[in-house]
Amino acid sequence: MSAKKESKNPAKTAVKEKRQVAAKLIPIYIMGKRYEVPEGLTIMKAIEYAGYRFIRGCGCRGGTCGACGTVYRKPGDYKLQVALACQKTVEPGMYIAQIPFFPANRAQYEFADLTAAPEEVFKLYPELFRCVACNACTKACPQGIEVMDAISALKQGNIAEAARLSFDCIQCGLCTSRCFGELAQYHMFQLARRIYGARILPRAEHLAEMVKTINEGRYDQILDELKHVKEDELKKLYQEREAEPMAAGEDWKPKDTRYL
Amino acid sequence: MGLAYYPGCTLKTKARNLEEPGIASMEVLEFKLEEIPRWNCCGAVYSLAEDDLIHQVAPIRNLIRAKEQGKNKLATLCAFCFNTLKRANLLMRENAEKRNTLNSFMDEEIDYGGEVEVVHLLEVLRDEIGWEALAQKVKLPLRELKIASYYGCTLLRPREIAIDSVENPTILRKFLKALGASPVDFPYATTCCGSYQIISNPGDISEYAWDILGSALRHGAEALVLTCPLCDYNLGRGQKELMKKHSEFKGMPLFYFTQLLALALGLDSQVCHFELNYGSPESLLREKNLLS
Amino acid sequence: MSYLGYPDFFEPYIKKVEQTRPARVEKRKKGDEFPFMSLEERQEILKHHPDYKGEGRREIKVGPNKGYRIAHEFVDLLEARSRVDPDKVDLSRIDYETDVLIIGGGGAATIAALIAEENGAQVLTATKLRYGDANTMMAEGGIQAATKGGKDSLYYHYLDVMGGGHFKNDPDIVATFVKQAPDALQWLENLGVMFSKFPDGRLEAMHGGGTCRKRMHYCADLSGLEIMRTVRDEARNRANIKVLEFSPAVELILNEHGQCAGALLYNMETEEYLVARAKAVILATGGAGRLHVQGFMTTNHYGATADGIVLGYRAGVPLAFMHTVQYHPTGVVFPEQIEGWLITERFRSEGSDILNVHGEKFVNEREPRDVESARFIKECLDGKGVPTLTEKVGIWLDSPMLDILHGEGRVRTAFVGKWKVYDRLGIDISKAPMLVYPTLHYQNGGLKDNAECETAVPGLYVAGEITGGLHGENRLMGNSLMDIVVFGRIAGRNAAIFVREKAKEGKLTLEHVERYRKELEEAGIITDRVAPMLLPDYTRPEVKEKQLTVSYLGTLR
Repeated sequence: MSAKKESKNPAKTAVKEKRQVAAKLIPIYIMGKRYEVPEGLTIMKAIEYAGYRFIRGCGCRGGTCGACGTVYRKPGDYKLQVALACQKTVEPGMYIAQIPFFPANRAQYEFADLTAAPEEVFKLYPELFRCVACNACTKACPQGIEVMDAISALKQGNIAEAARLSFDCIQCGLCTSRCFGELAQYHMFQLARRIYGARILPRAEHLAEMVKTINEGRYDQILDELKHVKEDELKKLYQEREAEPMAAGEDWKPKDTRYL
Repeated sequence: MGLAYYPGCTLKTKARNLEEPGIASMEVLEFKLEEIPRWNCCGAVYSLAEDDLIHQVAPIRNLIRAKEQGKNKLATLCAFCFNTLKRANLLMRENAEKRNTLNSFMDEEIDYGGEVEVVHLLEVLRDEIGWEALAQKVKLPLRELKIASYYGCTLLRPREIAIDSVENPTILRKFLKALGASPVDFPYATTCCGSYQIISNPGDISEYAWDILGSALRHGAEALVLTCPLCDYNLGRGQKELMKKHSEFKGMPLFYFTQLLALALGLDSQVCHFELNYGSPESLLREKNLLS
Repeated sequence: MSYLGYPDFFEPYIKKVEQTRPARVEKRKKGDEFPFMSLEERQEILKHHPDYKGEGRREIKVGPNKGYRIAHEFVDLLEARSRVDPDKVDLSRIDYETDVLIIGGGGAATIAALIAEENGAQVLTATKLRYGDANTMMAEGGIQAATKGGKDSLYYHYLDVMGGGHFKNDPDIVATFVKQAPDALQWLENLGVMFSKFPDGRLEAMHGGGTCRKRMHYCADLSGLEIMRTVRDEARNRANIKVLEFSPAVELILNEHGQCAGALLYNMETEEYLVARAKAVILATGGAGRLHVQGFMTTNHYGATADGIVLGYRAGVPLAFMHTVQYHPTGVVFPEQIEGWLITERFRSEGSDILNVHGEKFVNEREPRDVESARFIKECLDGKGVPTLTEKVGIWLDSPMLDILHGEGRVRTAFVGKWKVYDRLGIDISKAPMLVYPTLHYQNGGLKDNAECETAVPGLYVAGEITGGLHGENRLMGNSLMDIVVFGRIAGRNAAIFVREKAKEGKLTLEHVERYRKELEEAGIITDRVAPMLLPDYTRPEVKEKQLTVSYLGTLR
């Protein structure tokens, strides 16, 4: 698929060599097939070590995009475990399968028309009430979110609570894959967070004021002058600018108010 | 005194007029209702299928939340929640096989064996405060308010969970008396309101409602007191239609028992959220000088 | 055996940090800061920055920037062949037809899609991974905008941006940026982004490296995730925004009038090349961390391979500021499972000290990123880095100070994302410091455009990390998230206007690809490298040696 890469720089070669530092090999089962991989690798790196090249099931490689939702079992344990492949370290004997995609119902809506009434969520997601509190969703969350509690909050009309509880949600869909009531929890939470952010949290009035001030043209001349200032003069202005101290509180006021 | 409290979903949305006056009243009576953390839906309907255990999971989880808090009693305001929670609790007490299955299914939770007692707030008023003591706390007796006590099903049936005599309950009558109101007896007090049949048979339900409301009217009631948001829905929703059909019917206000309690205890009527009631119960209350 | 979750090996080093901590906390409380460097001192220290290493780069021999010295990894891609033989592509068979084609699926792309759609355009988004799996999602620190009129203004934001970029930035672009930033922030607020706020609605704000006012707004430590998932959700509400996942663009398509008129897409799963015709194109393919410039580890997502740079350059768009690459000062060096992983600058903004092996401070923790990184590298070259078990070195970031300064539980609540990941690895970062080293983070430069997101090719717009000019030679924290919003919106609007007012029907062509191939040939570059790279290749050589297929049968390799 790809042509051989020529590496002209020594640093890169060094990185490759470091990767080969001998480590103890442990067996893992990728979709049931046994491979030996060095211990200490993440599931993602272990799958790559085995020789796979990801197209799906791999995204940010930093635990925030939700592309690499993975389920696994350990030998002799009936418990189904979940993880993000990029975050979880391999353990001996793990049986691993990724779930790179899982179909989930998402409601279409005109956000501008939505209010903060709980019924908005009920109307868009009537299946919310199919939840039987089995808690499989919570057990399936690699982020440790109390998914069922957040669903309960939605049923109780507590959008704010659902938004807060689900804030760490990376929308990997593992909850949905396990849901007895066939809910797509993460889409419901997304709706809750948006309603909370735009309709329940108080608005930033200082922001609206600043936007208005800018539109009235307060800074047009200042910016125009700055754009044409010579580099040396700009450096001088830069170094002379007053710094808000780290420890300053919300009420800090600068001495120099000429450019406010 | 603190009392572990399970609200239920509807009380947080449509039936805030059941919850808020209840909480405020209990505070006056020096019983603080302490909402248990992380509660979920009660299950809404108690499942009768013998091997349908999954629908027991929701109510039992709530009981586990109470146990985790070290509580031995859990109070509800909603009669339907009371019913599902108490029946699930009985199952956990009495059926060892199912108890084991459910505990093993919920292996992320502590084991539960029915240790928590489920009570309805009316029982707390009767057994822990007492009608006389309650009567003494009344600041605004609901004099001349003729109210029929409507129980529906869920506080009384099945027999194992009944809070009063199944055939001839008197707890609401005594409650109304303590508040200074004039209770009205009528034969349909324990007739089902139609329950969830409303979803599939909306037409039939309005006939059920007329049986109940018409009978109360004929027995001289000016209003109905109830304990359940579903009864409230079924009896309130179709009143406009019924007024068209039956010329003698001018509508009948429905009160949650907690609203009457708060009113009698002299609380600000705002806590009662009358705006969430069907029709306009305020006009009746004003008529009787119970509301300014 | 372990000490605070770290192997015993680290115990004496962590103890040194603990010994100096009480005195350092006292200093913090008094507002006693480590002095900032002067501009001259910064220039001196920057000699240790990887950008300044001559052997790391070479001149590019072809294209609009012939003779420009940039990193080998970029030149390798720009001096590579197309993935396809343009003669074999049948441009008369159109697979997808749209008004605006957006290439990329991150923040800039999604925001551009929303605004193009609002301006009446049909939008097709072609993205290489899943919709939203991009660097935007990973941005943690925050988003800059001057919003507090009593103490901040566009003047100060402008100066900070210019100073961070060593005064080389494009003034027009910077002016547009700071002026549009507050409005962009309000737009996000309207979409329902959950900003961290005080109870009265005021936005919480803090310093970032190189800021003179606290204007870094944020959504806990998941700002990028919250912004990305919100705009993506909104895009999913719009019927006129279609998305093709796992379908990167491999060449731009022009028309006979020289306008950009689509792209050749590659379905990575069926391995088909497909023609998408459009009336305007927005390139928003993001950055290039996965090229591992100079062998550095990276914070970037799997698909950050500079694809758009290759496409745009071949079509005739010049480069700007590609000679600088941003190394984020604080990438994880240990534990190795999360090596390269970004530790948000906010740890420093809130008052975590930077310490050498002796537990001593040696730099103000809020210098611009390139200066901070260069200073870390120098400290390690001077033998004052903290050793690890695998012969790497690191610098301490003293996170437990935050619980002492701001109250117990601060790390756990304000940095919940970080705390959880370390916790899974057995380390409580409210008790133990973090070991970090500079990591490849951001492509400061990119395709040259103007404040209207226009490029040298009519009908081709660019937005986000792929562009060069706004950040000059070094970007400040919080200006990349704002970059994608401000310029995503401008690109979306202008592309939609182009569709309405300037786009002309005309025969599609890949002649520029053929021309570029000839140019390579004339420059004597004979190579079997192909570009864009699409995905990095982490296959071990031992595995590669056994991948002996002579030719492919369908998708079976």
